[in-house]
Amino acid sequence: MEKTRLNILPVPTFSSLGVNYAEREMQQYETEAIRITESQEAPVRVDVTDSSAFEINASEGRALFVIQYIKSDSKLSVDTSIAASAGARVKLVQVFERLPEAVSKLKVTLADSASFELVQLVIGGGDNVIEDAVILDGARGAFTAELADSLAGSDRLDLNLIAEHRGRKTTSEIHLGTVLSGTASKIFKGTIDFKNGASGAKGSEQEEALLLGNCVRNRTVPVILCSEEDVEGSHGATVGRLDEKHIFYLRSRGICEEKIYELMARSKLMRAVSKIEDEPTKARIYKALGWGDDNE
Amino acid sequence: MKEKTQVGDIDRSLYDFRYEENEGDFLDRGLTPQIISEISDEKNDPDWMREFRLKALDIYNRTPMVEWGASTEGLDVDNIVTYIRPQSRMNTDWNNVPENIKETFERLGIPQAERESLAGVGAQYDSELVYHNVRSEVAESGVVYTNLESAMHDERYAEIIRSHFMKLVPPTDHKFAALHGAVWSGGSFVYVPKNVHLDIPLQSYFRLNAKGAGQFEHTLIILEENSYLHFIEGCSAPKYYEAGLHAGCVELFVGKGASLRYSTIENWSKNMYNLNTKRAIVQENGRIEWVSGSFGSHVSYLYPMSILNGRGASAEFTGITFAGEGQDLDTGAKIVHNAPETSSYMNTKSISKSGGKSTFRSSVAVNENAVGSKSSVSCESLMLDNISRSDTIPVIDVKTDKCDVGHEARIGRISDEAIFYLTSRGLSEQEARAMIVRGFADNVSKELPLEYAVEMNNLIGLEMQGSIG
Repeated sequence: MEKTRLNILPVPTFSSLGVNYAEREMQQYETEAIRITESQEAPVRVDVTDSSAFEINASEGRALFVIQYIKSDSKLSVDTSIAASAGARVKLVQVFERLPEAVSKLKVTLADSASFELVQLVIGGGDNVIEDAVILDGARGAFTAELADSLAGSDRLDLNLIAEHRGRKTTSEIHLGTVLSGTASKIFKGTIDFKNGASGAKGSEQEEALLLGNCVRNRTVPVILCSEEDVEGSHGATVGRLDEKHIFYLRSRGICEEKIYELMARSKLMRAVSKIEDEPTKARIYKALGWGDDNE
Repeated sequence: MKEKTQVGDIDRSLYDFRYEENEGDFLDRGLTPQIISEISDEKNDPDWMREFRLKALDIYNRTPMVEWGASTEGLDVDNIVTYIRPQSRMNTDWNNVPENIKETFERLGIPQAERESLAGVGAQYDSELVYHNVRSEVAESGVVYTNLESAMHDERYAEIIRSHFMKLVPPTDHKFAALHGAVWSGGSFVYVPKNVHLDIPLQSYFRLNAKGAGQFEHTLIILEENSYLHFIEGCSAPKYYEAGLHAGCVELFVGKGASLRYSTIENWSKNMYNLNTKRAIVQENGRIEWVSGSFGSHVSYLYPMSILNGRGASAEFTGITFAGEGQDLDTGAKIVHNAPETSSYMNTKSISKSGGKSTFRSSVAVNENAVGSKSSVSCESLMLDNISRSDTIPVIDVKTDKCDVGHEARIGRISDEAIFYLTSRGLSEQEARAMIVRGFADNVSKELPLEYAVEMNNLIGLEMQGSIG
């Protein structure tokens, strides 16, 4: 099977860093796209075990909450497209649990005053390539993303998120928490693209990466592209170990260093988990992460 | 109703003057082994350099252009004059410099700067250095400041040049490094001995006068243990309608505990392709500080790189880029943490106006052995209208857990509140905008010696001229 270029950085940079694109084999979908509309009961829970395509449509002023729990022992590709009409509100939770090799593509288009909330968790996984492209087409569209990943062993993740601001007064807010250990490797490419005409738009992006091991590799590419004067964009990233002051404080409260790192690793992921208002899904996540019993 | 700010033409007459050249002094345009051998003949290259140039040409021909960055479509290297015979040999007496060249540098204020505030000056006109001088007390301290060709032919320095030349930036690094290796000419060699602290700066000024020509100077600086140097580099050219090319190379070797500040105010004319490579390697507890102002050029690729190779080495990069009409300036910095407890700080500002495009591009790599290292990157961009473009593309690549790396960036415009406040205090909108932009650029200007900070502020003033509320 031929390899396809995926996760292409919207504006390429120094080739030697290996962040401009990923090359993977795409798996074929065996069935037609699964259609989800707001007429279904919320939340719509979907277990994804094979390569599949999803079409999610939210009509004017309606709300939709979809949870995709993606778990499989074989290679898979997931293609999700979302169209939110004027004033519609869509929330999508995607959980990727220890997939050996996966490609996920998400494309979202927001009309006037539509909003999209993405909660995305990557729990382990041999080699995951995930692309999330959100086009804020209409005026006053809003996009928030709460992303978290926990990678250990030889896990690999290439995550490419693009928020394209086309409409006036659109907003995007992206947060990513990462925990890496073993020889895990992660690339996060987060792009906020202010197109000409997106006056009054605001975008922000923040990444916090906690590294737990001297053989991990964390690559971060927080990009802002701007061809509009009247915008506000910001991004920030902190990468590394725990602050010694924090460790000292917690040690002085009687917590051992191993436990401190465990707590901090949890806190990086909990921010995303806490946005999932669905107890059965939370319980599955806790179990996958090995956080106590299912009811923790 | 409030009118939109308009930006008028820029008066660049200070830099935009020229003298006719005798085209008989030009080597043929293009790149062939014959032309490269002719350059070697003109410069009386030693055998190793002749071979080096030809090998570099071969690498150039085999190396593709990079797949990222600003467009170089308008640049036809086969149509560039790579070497122009000098009108005179290099002088150490200003009175012996040919009149038209002397007048050029006098208009740019170089001799005055030498008298007032510099320990030594080098002036390059087209392909060769025409003047080089260093104060006697500086020379007596053992500091060497001369052109690279003289050093290469001087038995005291020949081996140093051979063992350092293009070792930090090998011709295989990228296409224009290979081009530089093939056709380099001029530039400076600076050697600062152990424990020598030069309190006043050295300066090299590069002027490209000829139409359709390239300048390929090579700067090689070696600082021995516990020494200090501030080196200032300036460059300009008159504007032609034909593309010009600058593909210089700077290699800096900073020894144990030594400290080097390298300041550049780049003001090439807006027909120039500035494809320059600068790199420093820093040993234990050494320090490199880059101060960089990019105002000129049609297209720029400029990312000074600091390789922190010794424990406790540090790097600081402070830069400003101002992209106006017809400019695509792709600038930034690269830092490699290659040893424990190294630290780096990058602070950049970029301004885009009148359809100009500025791109901040950086990379910070923290390797496995750089335990206990720290790095901080801060970049801010200012958009002055909505026909311009500003992109920020930083990369952080971390391979150890025992480090602290931080990054922050912001993009925005001048706030209406700030303009309102300043205009309510009696300033015109144009003055208010220029004042805010100067303030925005103060990270660079406060790092420069006073007279260069004034020059930089004047450049900002020129760029902002014509703004009306």
